[in-house]
Amino acid sequence: MQVTATIIAYFHTCLRKMYLHHHGIRMEHTSDVVYEGKLIGESTYEDRAAKNTQLELDGIKIDYYDAKTKTVHETKKSDKMEHAHEAQVLYYLYVLQRNGIEGASGIIEYPTLRQRKHIDFDPERDVPIIEGWLQEIEQILEQEQCPPVINKSICKSCSYYDYCYVAEEIEN
Amino acid sequence: MKKPYYLFNPGRLSRKDNTLKFTPVDEAGNEGQPRHLPIESVEELYVFGALDVNSAVLNFLGQESICVHFFNYYEHYTGSFMPRDYLLAGKVQIAQTRAYTEAKRRMPIARSLLDGAAANMLRVLRYYGYRERDLGLPIAAIEDLRQRLPDAKTSSELMGIEGNIRQNYYQAFDEIILDYDMGGRSKRPPKNEVNAMISYGNMLCYTQCLKQIYHTQLNPTISFLHEPGYRRYSLALDLAEIFKPVLVDRLVFSLLNKKIIQANDFRWELNKCLLKESGARNFAKYWDERMNETIQHRSLNKKVSYKHLIRLECYKLTKHVLNDGEYKPFKMWW
Amino acid sequence: MYVIAVYDVNEKRVGKMLKLCRRYLNWIQNSVFEGEITPVKLQEMVVEANKIMQKEEDSLILFKSRDARWLDKEVIGLERMSTDNFL
Repeated sequence: MQVTATIIAYFHTCLRKMYLHHHGIRMEHTSDVVYEGKLIGESTYEDRAAKNTQLELDGIKIDYYDAKTKTVHETKKSDKMEHAHEAQVLYYLYVLQRNGIEGASGIIEYPTLRQRKHIDFDPERDVPIIEGWLQEIEQILEQEQCPPVINKSICKSCSYYDYCYVAEEIEN
Repeated sequence: MKKPYYLFNPGRLSRKDNTLKFTPVDEAGNEGQPRHLPIESVEELYVFGALDVNSAVLNFLGQESICVHFFNYYEHYTGSFMPRDYLLAGKVQIAQTRAYTEAKRRMPIARSLLDGAAANMLRVLRYYGYRERDLGLPIAAIEDLRQRLPDAKTSSELMGIEGNIRQNYYQAFDEIILDYDMGGRSKRPPKNEVNAMISYGNMLCYTQCLKQIYHTQLNPTISFLHEPGYRRYSLALDLAEIFKPVLVDRLVFSLLNKKIIQANDFRWELNKCLLKESGARNFAKYWDERMNETIQHRSLNKKVSYKHLIRLECYKLTKHVLNDGEYKPFKMWW
Repeated sequence: MYVIAVYDVNEKRVGKMLKLCRRYLNWIQNSVFEGEITPVKLQEMVVEANKIMQKEEDSLILFKSRDARWLDKEVIGLERMSTDNFL
């Protein structure tokens, strides 16, 4: 199974969303928040267009890879889901390593917050962790039943909110 | 926020500088001043007048996932340009097909759809019943028929009950509408003003349902209440059942009773009554406003527009076929 | 949100600006556009406008309002173009 970076990020935010997304039940197109994230990602690298290298490998798509310094750049709007962003970048580094690119590192950029965060990849520490994720992901995605709603505060800004929470009360 | 555009004037639609250009053309072939429609603001297009289009503009609309609905000179719906599906989900397709093929799964959905429709019809009648109109009989009859829904074993039995409900429902219209008689439902062709309005409104409702389904993973040709193949997109008919009383009928009452649409907005031809362009335009305008009106949604705890209610109905059906929550139809609660 | 966009750019770039704005808003008269737009789409338009404009010479001004209702529009003289969605 090819696991995309989106699946990795969703694995760390909501298993239900991960499952639905994987099975083609996509809601991202309905969300301005998602679109804004995409816009910020695209416009951040505009001025670096000259040395811009998009990288596609094993089903992942790295928006901006600097081959000289072996750095993966990932842009995010806010650091609200920081652990999911970190997991996503770690996964990029893992895939790079699997393809023979050793010693790469990552930077998560938050242009609207004017912050960046460095991510180092330590094969001995990180490979077993990531392979553990992949195993768990595969097992969840193969289930017949979709995981339940998580009822968390992050749900309100999620593009799947309407899908997950729409219901009708019993007539009185 | 995107909005539908309604094209009543004859003309030509073309692609120009990555947006849409509409050039009105009169009967003598004279071009009027063109207008650019901002592509980023176009939700869908309703075409009532004669329109010239070419493949460049259709490719462009397809790329932007914009549906176009066409109506003929008699304001009759001719069909839609539906761009290629952009939200395919094999899992949903299979689940939806299974939910149709297995009778014990199809019937509960069909029953719910009809129960939702009946509940909304009753809500409409009760609202007018409170306003000193005598609607006790049709209300009681529909309530009675509604009780029989759980006993219906086949979809044809269900459609039989549906027919009876609707007959009672439409009989009440003559009580509600002040200056016009309806005398029962007549379609193809509509025999009088009220029927002309209902036909027109139902088509707008159908196309809206179709558009909403298009923007989800559901397949519009697999339906539960109507037989698939009865019309090309029979799932849109299923959804329209629920929303017609809420969206179309209440609007028809208000447009006629408030005299917003009047006798001179209709034209008569041999055996049919139709809306003139003035009436059709005015109706569409109020329809468009109504679609954007919002209500406080009880489970989502936020305001949603009427057209979004239809989208939400699609989500509930998707969840139902995936065994991810039982489908309960939208019932007006106010 | 509801926006009125007004630009003043060098003649060489005027065509590009016009084409860009036409994709997002309704043209009402020379160098003036208006219309309903989501904040993120406006943001996208501004990103695109920035690629066209030369900051030391050109300008784009946006008048923003939460809703068209908060705006009284009065046209004196000839209305060049309506913004209606009924044509």
